[in-house]
Amino acid sequence: MSDPGADPAGPGGTADTGRSVVVNADRQPLLSVRHLVKRFGPVLAVNEVSLDVQEREVLGVIGDNGAGKSTFLALLTGFHRPDRGTFYYRGRPVVISSPRSARNRLGIEMVYQNLELAPDLTVAENLFLGQEPRLMGVLVSRRRMARRAAEALRQLDAQVSPKSPVGGLSGGEKQAVAIGRALLFERDVVILDEPTAAISARKVDEVLQLIRRLKSLGKTVIFVSHRLDDILTVSDRIVVFFQGTIRTVLQNEGQQVSDLLREMF
Amino acid sequence: MGDPRGHPERGAGPPRPAAPPRPAAQSFSRSARLVAGPQGSVRRPIAFLVVAVIVSALVSPAFLTVANARALLAGSSFLVVVTVGEALVVLVGGIDLGVESMLAASGMFVAALYVLQGMSTAASVLLCLGSGIVVGALAGLLVARARVPSFIVTLGTYWGFRGVALLFNSGNYISPDAVQPARPFGFSWMAGTVGGVPTLVILMVLVVAAGQALVSFTPLGIWIRATGSSEEAARATGVRTVTVKALVFALSGLLAALSGVMITAWQQSIYPLTGQGYSLQAIAAVILGGIPFSGGRGSVVGAALGALVIGLINDMIVLVGLPAQYEYIFVAAVLVLAGLQTRGGRFVK
Repeated sequence: MSDPGADPAGPGGTADTGRSVVVNADRQPLLSVRHLVKRFGPVLAVNEVSLDVQEREVLGVIGDNGAGKSTFLALLTGFHRPDRGTFYYRGRPVVISSPRSARNRLGIEMVYQNLELAPDLTVAENLFLGQEPRLMGVLVSRRRMARRAAEALRQLDAQVSPKSPVGGLSGGEKQAVAIGRALLFERDVVILDEPTAAISARKVDEVLQLIRRLKSLGKTVIFVSHRLDDILTVSDRIVVFFQGTIRTVLQNEGQQVSDLLREMF
Repeated sequence: MGDPRGHPERGAGPPRPAAPPRPAAQSFSRSARLVAGPQGSVRRPIAFLVVAVIVSALVSPAFLTVANARALLAGSSFLVVVTVGEALVVLVGGIDLGVESMLAASGMFVAALYVLQGMSTAASVLLCLGSGIVVGALAGLLVARARVPSFIVTLGTYWGFRGVALLFNSGNYISPDAVQPARPFGFSWMAGTVGGVPTLVILMVLVVAAGQALVSFTPLGIWIRATGSSEEAARATGVRTVTVKALVFALSGLLAALSGVMITAWQQSIYPLTGQGYSLQAIAAVILGGIPFSGGRGSVVGAALGALVIGLINDMIVLVGLPAQYEYIFVAAVLVLAGLQTRGGRFVK
C-alpha cells in the first residue's frame, strides 16, 4: 500500500488507508513494513510498500508477473536488502539482513516453489537439514529426529513416514515436508510461494488443508499464488500488487475471481 | 610400475569363460532385483562380490585358501582406502581423478622425508598426511568456491602430482638403502600382522568403518549426501556447501596420502609411478558399490566392497595365469555391468 501522503509513526497505525483496507488498530501487527523501496538498476521493483501482517492470519498475495510480489518476499526473507524502508517485528524496528537472520531471529520461514528438498534424503533428514539434533555433540540423534519429525507430520495430518526418501513422495506430500520445517522450528511466519502451482488438481485441496492447519496451529501464513480460487478459499485478507506497489488490500468477504482480476490489471 | 599385488606365481587353472548362462531376461531381472535390493543398497556390491568369489573358487582351487585371502585383502587395502575417499567425493557430487598421483607423491614424500632427510617417523608421516589434507582442501576450494568443475581440478592434481612424485630423488625410487647406512622405514609395522591379521587389513577396516560412520551418524554425513542430492536445497536450508565440499576433498587427499604411506611400508620402497590406474579403479569401485555418479545416496561400505571386487578380479587374473593386462578388460566389463544397474537399465532396474 503506497501512501506517501501519510507519515505513519510506526506499525499498527494508519499505513493502510486505501479502500477496502481493514486494520484492527487494537491489535499489534506481528510484522509491519513501511515505505519499502527496492530498485534493480533502472527498474523500480518495489516502490513505497507499506503493510501490516497480523498474527494468525492467512494473507493471500496476488499480482501479475513483475508486479513486485517476488521482490517483496525476497525483502521479507532477507534475500535482498531494501534500498529504503523499515521493518517492524511486534512493534520493534528490525533489520532483516540475511535469510538466516529472518529465519532464526524473526521466525520467518520461506517455503519455495521448488521446495528445496534433497530427493535422496529421507523425510526426517530433510526436515532437520542443517539443524540436526545432536548426540554427544558430534553425532546425529536419529531417534530424536524420527520422533520429532513424526510429531510435526502428525500435526499437519500428513500420512508420510519420516524414513521414506523424499524423492518418492507426491507433490502434496513434499509440500507437507517443506511446511513441516516451519513447525519443527517454531517459526511464526510461513511464506508459501506458489505451493499449488506444481501439483495435480486433486492434491490442491491437501495443500490448502495444510495452510488451514498451520493457521489453527497459531502460525501466520503469507500465501502467494496465481491461482485465484485457491487464494479466495483460504485467505483472510488479500494483498494485490500492481507495478511495484500495493494497489489494495481486500478483506476476503464474498469476493469473486473477477473482483480480484479487476484489481490486478 | 609398482604393482602392489605382487602375488607369487601360482599354478594356472584352466581359463574357463566366467559369464554365467543367461536365462530369459524377464525372470532374470526379477530375481536379480530380489537379490540385489533397491538401488544404492549395499546388497548390490555384496551380490557382485559373492558372484566373483564363487566364480574365482570354481576357476582356481588356490583361491579359497587363507594365504590367498590374506594376500588378497592386504593387496587390496590400498585401493580400498583410496576408494573410501573417492566414495565421499562422488557422494557430494564430484569426482577425484587425482587420488593415484596423490598416493604416489605422498609415498615419495614420506620416503624422502624419512630416508633422505632423516626425519623421525612421526614427523615424516604427519607431514605427509597433513600435506594430503592441505592439497585436497585446496582442490576442494577450487571446486566449491571458484566453481571449477571437479573433473578439471582433479585432472590437474592427477598430472601435477605425478610430476611432483617424479621430483623426489630425481625421479628414482626410494628405499631404505638409498642412504648409507640403510634407514629402514619406521612405519614398516604397517606391513606386519596383529594376531595373525595383516595390519594393512586392520587399517583398511578402520578406515572403511570410520568413513561409513561419518556418512551414517554425523551431521556432516547428512550434509555430504544433501549437497550431492541437491546443492541448492542444502544451501537454502543453511548447509555450508562450500565447507562441506572442501572437507570432502581434504579427506580424499588425506586417505590418498595414508594409502601412499601404507604402500611404501608394504613394498619397502616407493616408485614415482606407483598406483597408476588407481583413480579409475577407485571410481569404478564406487560405481560398483552402488553410489550413482550424481551422488546423494549409497554407502562407503558398498564402495569398499566394490574395491574388493576389483581386487579380486586382479587376484584371479594372476591365479589363472592370464597376463596382467587382462585386468583392464575384466574391470571394464564389470564396470559396464554396474553402470547399467545404477542407470536403472535392463539388467537390474
